[in-house]
Amino acid sequence: MNDLQPMRARVEDVQVETPTIRTFVLRPERPVPFRAGQFVQLGIPGIGEAPFTPSSSPAVAERLETTVLRTGFVTNALHALEPGAEVGLRGPFGKGYPIDHFRDREVLVVGGGVGLAPLRALLYHLFSAMHWVRRVVIRYGARNPAELCFRRQYAEWAALERVDFLETIDRPAAGWNGRVGLVTTLLDDLDIDIPNACAVSCGPEVMLKFVTYKLLDIGLPPERIFLSMNRNMSCGMGICGRCNVGPFFLCKDGPDMCYADIKDIPYALG
Amino acid sequence: MGVAGEQCGDVLFMEPGGLRDLLRGLAGESALLSPTRTEHGFDLIRVEPGEAAVDPPWNGARTIPPLKGLWFRPAAVVARSTPETSGAGLDPAPIAVYGARACDLQGLAILDRVLRDHVFREPVYCASRERNLIISGDCTEPAESCFCTLLGGLPHPTAGFDLNLAPVSGGYVVEVGSARGRALVGQHTGRFAPASSEQVEERDRARQQVEERVRRQNERFATREPFERAIEKNLKTRIWGEVAATCVECGACNLACPTCHCFQLQDAAPSGAPLRFSLWDSCISAGHARMAGGGTPRLQLTERFKNHYYHKFVSFPRNWGVTACTGCGRCIDVCPGRIDKRSVLLQLETRWIPSEVAEVE
Repeated sequence: MNDLQPMRARVEDVQVETPTIRTFVLRPERPVPFRAGQFVQLGIPGIGEAPFTPSSSPAVAERLETTVLRTGFVTNALHALEPGAEVGLRGPFGKGYPIDHFRDREVLVVGGGVGLAPLRALLYHLFSAMHWVRRVVIRYGARNPAELCFRRQYAEWAALERVDFLETIDRPAAGWNGRVGLVTTLLDDLDIDIPNACAVSCGPEVMLKFVTYKLLDIGLPPERIFLSMNRNMSCGMGICGRCNVGPFFLCKDGPDMCYADIKDIPYALG
Repeated sequence: MGVAGEQCGDVLFMEPGGLRDLLRGLAGESALLSPTRTEHGFDLIRVEPGEAAVDPPWNGARTIPPLKGLWFRPAAVVARSTPETSGAGLDPAPIAVYGARACDLQGLAILDRVLRDHVFREPVYCASRERNLIISGDCTEPAESCFCTLLGGLPHPTAGFDLNLAPVSGGYVVEVGSARGRALVGQHTGRFAPASSEQVEERDRARQQVEERVRRQNERFATREPFERAIEKNLKTRIWGEVAATCVECGACNLACPTCHCFQLQDAAPSGAPLRFSLWDSCISAGHARMAGGGTPRLQLTERFKNHYYHKFVSFPRNWGVTACTGCGRCIDVCPGRIDKRSVLLQLETRWIPSEVAEVE
């Protein structure tokens, strides 16, 4: 068993989410059972690999989806792929979301941009477990209307019982009648039961920082704030040495970290 | 075998002629690496079969390069495009090392944990580590930069060798450290005799003297608190900018370190078939933690410099139960900025100003 050897996966479908985000539907040669929040290394042979958290339901191991923002060398190459292409896949890695902490709580899910991708795997999990979750409150922001990821699903999610969904865009845009402002503005007057709530957030690091400050402001304790800290994770096992936040290696100890564990580490949130 | 092998404990005596024969035999059947004097010090050089260069004993500290590159290669093919061929090319020739020092063996013990014995198996490392023979030797002439004793180490090997040699009058006291070492002795039985108690005493006296010398030369660097504490209380102070002032970001400390093991994976297809390479990486270089899109959590050199110390003396011990520094002092010898790790660690303790913490926050 060679930990650095990817298995093969076939690209079954490519879905265009936004001008910069695509979802790749993958069928790996062997099932890849994963927990929401765990990530895989997805690569193109001879080009390189990069870490992505599946955006599909963790209940399905035979077929998984990764939703990818075009932002660098590997993601540029991924965006050029068409159905039928073969990619390499390693993983899953990391711990995944601490689902047990969410039991009997109101779960506040705060996403930004492509950060909604890992959260969607969590949402699928929570939607299938609403009997032990009190409520799921989703707040999502994107730069502009065109960059709203998974937009076709919002109405469906908002219609679910005990699920609340609001989206916003950063700045006013032509033809947009919805909310405008950073996602933190949606946290100002939250109708949630703070003593029984916990929060999960994924998005750009600067967003995580200000979401965290806002959540602390409204009374959420650090122990109930969970942040998806996605950095340059490569080996996936805490060995290769670059994804550390203090003594933690995000690839093995995260990528989702409890804020209580990292709050005293200098510059943990940039 | 090496670190994990059982301690056989035999103590024997061998004359120089016996050692020459033994090394000559090893050079014929495996790649034999031996310390060889160059204008800069002892380099680690391959001894060709039949070559007369094997001329023990050698008196010196550790070699200039660390031994790690023999197993943890600077560049290695670690995976191939098709799983069926992934094992191919991972069948390295046997390696024999002569003259390894205690700090080398400690470095190897650390790499074994990280690259072989825990959750991860680095394929090239594991394959080549299985087929090695290590003949270590007591440190006889520690360098000024040596500080193994500050890390709780000793200048003579206590584990991790197949055979260990300690020079005494008329030859060597030989300690057998593994089944592989015992088998080697078995192949050359005529060359070994039981060591006398006088010979063992002579070895032990020499060991004490060398240990004392290393301790003495490091007295001025001794800290009252553990290094871990000195680093932790400075996580938010500005001292890092001062101690890193002459760092030119070359990464030589990483290359020379027997325990540094950061690597990056690079995929390429140099001759058509896609290959995955593992390349040594440097935590001092600006690109070390850089992410897609260009952002990096450690943009400033001082942050990277601090992270280097933090990892070796704080987070690595927490994750792996051992400090990622053997006190070999190579990083001191190779630094063009003349940065001395001992001095940095001492300054972290002596120059700490509590009020600074608030200033920078």
